[in-house]
Amino acid sequence: MVVVWNGDQVAPLFGYLGAASALVFSCFGAAYGTAKSGVGIASMGVMRPELVMKSIVPVVMAGVLGIYGLIIAVIISTNINQTADKAYYFFDGYAHFAAGLACGLAGLGAGMAIGIVGDAGVRANAQQPKLFVGMILILIFAEALALYGLIVGIILASKAGTAVPMST
Amino acid sequence: MSFGEDTWEMCLFNVKDGFLEGVVRGYKQGLLTTADYNNLCQCETLEDIKLYLTGTDYGPFLANEPSPMHTTSLVDACTRKLVADWRYLRENAGEPLGRFLDYCTYGHMIDNVVLIVTGTLHERDVQELLEKCNPLGMFDAIASLAVAQNMRDLYRLVLVDTPLAPYFSDNLTSEDLDEMNIEVMRNTLYKVMRNTLYKAYLDDFATFVHRVGGTTGEVMGELLSFEADRRALNITLNSIGTELTRDDRRKLYANFGLLYPHGQAELAVAEDFDQIRAAMEKCPPYQTIFSRLGLGETQMLDKILYEEEVRQLINTYEQQFHYGVFYAYMRLREQEIRNIMWIAECVAQDQKSRVQDGIVFTF
Repeated sequence: MVVVWNGDQVAPLFGYLGAASALVFSCFGAAYGTAKSGVGIASMGVMRPELVMKSIVPVVMAGVLGIYGLIIAVIISTNINQTADKAYYFFDGYAHFAAGLACGLAGLGAGMAIGIVGDAGVRANAQQPKLFVGMILILIFAEALALYGLIVGIILASKAGTAVPMST
Repeated sequence: MSFGEDTWEMCLFNVKDGFLEGVVRGYKQGLLTTADYNNLCQCETLEDIKLYLTGTDYGPFLANEPSPMHTTSLVDACTRKLVADWRYLRENAGEPLGRFLDYCTYGHMIDNVVLIVTGTLHERDVQELLEKCNPLGMFDAIASLAVAQNMRDLYRLVLVDTPLAPYFSDNLTSEDLDEMNIEVMRNTLYKVMRNTLYKAYLDDFATFVHRVGGTTGEVMGELLSFEADRRALNITLNSIGTELTRDDRRKLYANFGLLYPHGQAELAVAEDFDQIRAAMEKCPPYQTIFSRLGLGETQMLDKILYEEEVRQLINTYEQQFHYGVFYAYMRLREQEIRNIMWIAECVAQDQKSRVQDGIVFTF
């Protein structure tokens, strides 16, 4: 018996790769951000323990990057179907792959920025309290990069399933 | 620092150096605070000081000191603690931390060499000189420095086997070695020798920390450039009115630092304190330091520079994964011993009113 698939057999490779890369890269970014700014908070907190809770902000922002990756990965993986009435073409595979990479790598970049700025910012904040607002602004701009990745990822993922073949 | 380098440093630093970094942070927690200094200033006699210090980290080293106490024995006991700590760190250090710790002590080695050479010229006893040497800067053949008759012997017999050898041969050519006879050495030429050696040492140390790279390169780079600028300032201040020429003065300044090269060019031609001040104030970090000095006040300058150094040393503890914490510990402990010596002297000479002038508070 020959197995006949509706849609393209190799396409789910790209789709699942997209889901994986969304999660993996944004978690790399979140891990780096948490680690780098966490080290800064720990070192600074020895001498200024009252500032530790205010300085947790970079860690929280880094954690949000992981959530963005999670959202895209879930969206992509729920939309990969290879059934009789729902075909999964290369078109869909590529769209999901692009969505995953867009979100993942944007999250990686944002995580790097948040880590470095968080580390330097919390240490400088311990010496000069007026820097707190500036540090928060810089962190917000860094977080926005990952948000752009999330938005583009959602748009790309929504394109999957819109391919209409001319004939079967 | 790039992302990859940074992640690598974060992941791998603690493998080799994490234990000793933890140890040195523990030592740092034992440094005296402002409250301790205030209590020490209330002491009436040296016995009270010894009693108070027995309750701090110095306890085991002071416990066996016989009374009556002298200020020198108090300071010696405190220095023994620093040496014991440093020895522990050095013995347990891997590479390149071990080399870094050695570099930290070469400055003391230079001071010891100059002390013994000048002491011998003034016909002091070798044993007495050896006792006055800084214990962190001792090396094996140090006693034979007293035997050398001139600079060439000094270099050939003793210094060529020490880590100071490259600093010597670069800067003092063979003509200088011949000319530096005893008469000349009896004058202040030994200061030039010391500053030349120290300049070579600072340049070498800076190259080393930049080769280690990473956060160590950044943190130590800043500390060393402050040290280089501070020495440039002190050399200029001390050589106003002496026969040191401008070119010679320029040669004693290190090849890095915030003042390199333009600030140093201005300092080289400065002839009095106001010109020096004008040259230093063109550099924003030093402007804030000099603004704390009133007009025409030079006595407070030393204290202000010490305070600035202490502030920078304490800030190294706010970062992790670098070797600057070791250097900072050594310097902070030395500053603390200087403070204790000042307090002990004020108490011994019954000048309690001046005791607050000489203390540089750390925490």
